[in-house]
Amino acid sequence: MAASGSGGSRADNGYGSQQQPRRRKGPGALATAYLVIYNVVMTAGWLVIAVGLVRAYLAKGSYHNLYYSIEKPLKFFQTGALLEILHCALGIVPSSVVLTAFQVMSRVFLTWAVTHSVKEVQTEDSVLLFVVAWTITEIIRYSFYTFSLLNHLPYLIKWARYTLFIILYPMGVSGELLTIYAALPFVRQSGLYSISLPNKYNFSFDYYTFLILVMISYIPIFPQLYFHMLHQRRKVLSHTEEHKKSE
Amino acid sequence: VEILDWKTKKQLCFLDKVEPNATIREIRLMFHKFYPQWYPARQSIKLDPKGKSLKDEEILQHLPVGTTATFYFKDLGPQIGWTMVFLIEYTGPLFIYFLFYFRMPFVYGLDESFTSSPHPVVNLACICHSFHYIKRLIETVFVHRFSHGTMPLRNIVKNCLYYWGFAAWLAYYINHPLYTPPSYGKKQINFAVVMFLLCEAGNFSIHVALSDLRRKGSKIRKIPYPTKNPFTWLFFFVSCPNYTYEVGTWISFTIMTQCVPVGLFTFLCFIQMTIWAKDKHCTYLREFKDYPSLRMPIIPFLL
Repeated sequence: MAASGSGGSRADNGYGSQQQPRRRKGPGALATAYLVIYNVVMTAGWLVIAVGLVRAYLAKGSYHNLYYSIEKPLKFFQTGALLEILHCALGIVPSSVVLTAFQVMSRVFLTWAVTHSVKEVQTEDSVLLFVVAWTITEIIRYSFYTFSLLNHLPYLIKWARYTLFIILYPMGVSGELLTIYAALPFVRQSGLYSISLPNKYNFSFDYYTFLILVMISYIPIFPQLYFHMLHQRRKVLSHTEEHKKSE
Repeated sequence: VEILDWKTKKQLCFLDKVEPNATIREIRLMFHKFYPQWYPARQSIKLDPKGKSLKDEEILQHLPVGTTATFYFKDLGPQIGWTMVFLIEYTGPLFIYFLFYFRMPFVYGLDESFTSSPHPVVNLACICHSFHYIKRLIETVFVHRFSHGTMPLRNIVKNCLYYWGFAAWLAYYINHPLYTPPSYGKKQINFAVVMFLLCEAGNFSIHVALSDLRRKGSKIRKIPYPTKNPFTWLFFFVSCPNYTYEVGTWISFTIMTQCVPVGLFTFLCFIQMTIWAKDKHCTYLREFKDYPSLRMPIIPFLL
């Protein structure tokens, strides 16, 4: 469900207008170098996943059960995104810690607490749906950041980042919801991650109900993020049009 | 004096013949006459559209304005007084806990309705929880002196959801038919009760000390100092001992009930109060040059 929203709230690529009374200090040279390396590595990682998917598809001849061929790089690179929360907390990336944490945690939750933990859903086609959506989104997003940091952003990447989400975001959300839904009966059966009373800590947790609540939470959250991205798109792409006209 | 809308910059009103020594409070009242729906508490009057709101006490001639002063107005939305806010926020948990303690029919299933727990600690927990919120209500009415008059109305929905929600969640487990009493039995419970009473007494002492600092209606801030009351001696080490004692109260309640949801609530309270304490501490440091350097915001020597 995490859209390519992290850092997308800065329509001016992070170089804020100087009219604000509090000038935001950008990352220093060392931090910029580190971020460039980070974003290049992540772009490469998601490309590996993309290539892995394509190769597996060509080898098997069908698009079923492709999860197993990219399981390890998916887990590694998606979990690596946790570093982005640290980047915001340290201030080297001008995004909100809370928003970034929310987006990354929701991805990590889906990767580990649903897809990894409930083995029976790994053969579902819905997994492919969100993996493909995530892969394309992340490749574009990380290359966008790389080019922005190097001050040399090709219009194509900017356009892709602010346009492809229109399809990819609903695609990813559908894949995620269908996967959680598919996991429900197995969670109920096995009592996965659930504690019941009585116990000496006087606590109970029903993972099945929790997953249902997670699914319900998509209803208010998804439209908000989607329309926010649409709004960003209008701002960013029209801003570039004006620049082009004035040249 | 002219007042413009902060966003559209349209002139909302022009106040003729305003005295140079008029305060912002008087200007707010004048503006209110033009727009009765915007009572003074919900008016944000500022010099700069994106700046901070001016305080009531500011005097017109001391502000950096020309012969025609231009102010920007922002509607802060419906406001609610602090006293009212606290009354609503604290009465909720008090009564919600009782719904679970008396085991209302729809809570634990019809078989368990109106039964009572065999464990004495459950009764004790109810007494302590109720005592805590009754004490808070009494303090709100008789002890506290608030510096800001109001808060936005929509905050109250958020706050109530938080306080009431957590009260329901922890009351559910403590009063549950399958509740397990603490592992170390009477020793644990007695220790917790003593700690609870000490922290409540401490918290109350601090609130009284803080309220004595300020005469009625005055908004001047002063540094709080320890008094003859030993509970206030925590002021030697900490800027906001009321928060320290509050966290102590909830820790003792967690020990008393040995219940994870209570522990979680305690943890969240601790985080929230640390944030408030740090803010308060920074404000003190900024306002008073001779602020005691030994003091930490909430935990002596540590935080």
